[in-house]
Amino acid sequence: MQNLRRISQGIFFLLFLFLFLQTESKGHDELGYPVKLFLDFDPLIFITTILSAHAVAVAFYLSIILIAITIIFGRVFCGWACPLGTLNNIIGYLKRFSPDTTVRDWYRLKYYILIFLIVSSVFTLQLVGIMDPLSLLIRSFSISVYPLFNYGIRAVFDAIYNLNFKGIVDLSEAIYSGLKKSVLSFEQPLFNQSAFIGIIFLIVLGLNLSEKRFWCRYLCPLGALLGLFSRYSLLKRSVSEGCTSCSSCASVCQGNALPDKGEKWRNSECFYCWNCDDICPQNAVSFGFVKKKSVSIDLGRRMVLTSMLSGIITVPLLRSTPLSLSGFSDSTLIRPPGSLEEKEFLKRCVKCGECMKVCITNGLQPTLFEAGIEGIWSPVLIPRIGYCEFRCTLCGQVCPTGAIKQLPLKEKTKVKIGLAMIDKGTCLPYAHATPCIVCEEVCPTLKKAIWFEQATVKNRQGKETIIKQPRVDLELCIGCGICETKCPVLGQPAIYIISVGESRSKENQLLL
Amino acid sequence: MNRREFLKSAAVTGIGLTISNNLDSFIKMSEASEKVDLAVARGSSPSKITRAAIDAMGGIKKFISKGDIVVVKPNIGWDRLPEQAANTNPEVVATIVQLCYEAGAKKVKVFDRPVNDPRRCYVQSGIYDAAKAVGAEVSYIDDRKFKETMINGIALKTWPLYTEVLDADKVINVPIAKHHSLSTLTMAMKNWMGVMGGSRRQIHQKLNESLVDLCMVIKPTLTVLDAVRILTANGPQGGDLRDVKKLDTVIVGVDQVAVDSFGATLFGLKGSDLGCVEIGDGAGLGKMDLSKLKIKKISV
Repeated sequence: MQNLRRISQGIFFLLFLFLFLQTESKGHDELGYPVKLFLDFDPLIFITTILSAHAVAVAFYLSIILIAITIIFGRVFCGWACPLGTLNNIIGYLKRFSPDTTVRDWYRLKYYILIFLIVSSVFTLQLVGIMDPLSLLIRSFSISVYPLFNYGIRAVFDAIYNLNFKGIVDLSEAIYSGLKKSVLSFEQPLFNQSAFIGIIFLIVLGLNLSEKRFWCRYLCPLGALLGLFSRYSLLKRSVSEGCTSCSSCASVCQGNALPDKGEKWRNSECFYCWNCDDICPQNAVSFGFVKKKSVSIDLGRRMVLTSMLSGIITVPLLRSTPLSLSGFSDSTLIRPPGSLEEKEFLKRCVKCGECMKVCITNGLQPTLFEAGIEGIWSPVLIPRIGYCEFRCTLCGQVCPTGAIKQLPLKEKTKVKIGLAMIDKGTCLPYAHATPCIVCEEVCPTLKKAIWFEQATVKNRQGKETIIKQPRVDLELCIGCGICETKCPVLGQPAIYIISVGESRSKENQLLL
Repeated sequence: MNRREFLKSAAVTGIGLTISNNLDSFIKMSEASEKVDLAVARGSSPSKITRAAIDAMGGIKKFISKGDIVVVKPNIGWDRLPEQAANTNPEVVATIVQLCYEAGAKKVKVFDRPVNDPRRCYVQSGIYDAAKAVGAEVSYIDDRKFKETMINGIALKTWPLYTEVLDADKVINVPIAKHHSLSTLTMAMKNWMGVMGGSRRQIHQKLNESLVDLCMVIKPTLTVLDAVRILTANGPQGGDLRDVKKLDTVIVGVDQVAVDSFGATLFGLKGSDLGCVEIGDGAGLGKMDLSKLKIKKISV
């Protein structure tokens, strides 16, 4: 059974990696693969999004399938499919745990986390993305692991290329171009906070060295949710009379489910990994569809109440910030096109990082506190890094919760995400009477939003010259930011985008 | 009426007249002699007019030899569709690739350094598929292949240029004729911005001089100006089909200044209206005076 399980884990993990790698433009309008499939199957995101936003993406009904599977087979998702679980599983093998290692008894913790997340989502605060295992994994991969991987590989091949040994370079370049076509990204992805998010991910993985499957056992809120359903699962474990209480099974149990305690076996903590069945020297363990009562998990009334209260209190705690004032909100908080109005956006965004992974210019970056603590790791467009490509609609296509609406191309090109402002103090034609038309040249609206006023200026010698000075037509500007990206005034650009004027907001407006 | 509106109306109303009037006189001259400076072909099939124009110049074999590594450099600068006339017509590009192979070229490479996302530009322009289908090696720009190159020009002293262009046996420039707010029009000479590395946006400060400098270093074997569709306003990327004018024309020549000078007439302008053409003429890069050129016109 162990091998069968490993094959299943391998297949799901490879599927995850494949879909992750496909979350990248090939130049067409669509990606061609259901890249957010794993998130669609995530019932934790499904439930919290319904509670916080009273709405849900159609694809999310797939997650009901996972609930149904859990009710029949128990937490098989954790043991057989979850890509983060598989990674935790692998890391756990790096350390040999002696059979008599005492395990912590913290399994209740994840239920408290779950209660906290669900209760806060009832009060419209969507924090699930911070700890949802699939959001966490995709975010960590997108922002940190994949950029690191790309950087490493590129550095190696660039070094060989620069060594310039004839035969070797041909070979290395052949390998490199193969890698480029398969596993490397089109361009090196670069993200703010890649180290920060990477360290958090390393801690999650590193906890496995303290106790195997630490995250899955004690922290994972999705595991907790599935654990609740698992209690009623039809597939149950039985131990026959032959058991000699040798405790072999206890040391191989992945989920801290007390397999050696006979009837006290904790159904909700079992990953159905079958290790206990495989190892039992007496062959006394079996799994089957039998009718019997599960051990209930006693979470303790006080602790449940405490986690509920924390969930409630957190809402005003995070929300009573001046950021909610329209005049004070961060004007660099430029959301992707199709994003819902900020409050509705935050109710849905699960910080999975799909939009940042797919963003064709790398302009979408994770926030830190620009959108408040509540909005941590949500997407913000930073035009100095990358602009919003006029005819690209990918971020809306991959958003799992509809925080970014999927817009048809025609509609997307009309959505304003902000407005361009000119800094006359640094703009070459204004400040230095030097010709430069880059912002106008790259402006993508069909009738260009940037136009010129011909100005007659005098040079130092008093000679008159005519210069084109750019102006922004605020009615036409959609705030895509390509002018800011390409502005030759590096560092502090002479033309820049502010979120004011964004279509999604009623308050954040400038024009009459 | 500002310049753009003027251009637009000039292009819309004047083109037909300008071309036919001017051409007739040019043709009479060209028929008298064998050597052709510019070949202008007109017809509904981009592929046929491209072939016809190159044939009129003496045939592809005059320019491409057996075993040549050829770079075909179209304009793939923008994430736009062929009908929006922001990028070179894919059929024109593919036909040139085919012709090169017919002349015995060993390899034909097609690339450009776009302004928008390269993947989208290559695919949406139709050039990626069209050129691949006829056997071209279509590649994205590799930053490691830029080499600081001596230019010693009026505006540019050195600049990183793409080594695949410098190292090729033959280079064919395949621009499209478009409106541009600083250089008035962008055609053959300005197309070489696509092989510049580094922060090329700075050259707009001395654009015309820089373009001439660049053309002094990169001398194509042949230039094929795509005017199947031209963009008359909101260039160089356009987007609005009302700014596009279908002329079903290609212009082929060796002298880039001459090609651009002729290109200007498509918009109702003269070569001397374009700074880079005028400076190029003065610097001896080429000839802009169309009356002194042998121009052959073909209808297909």
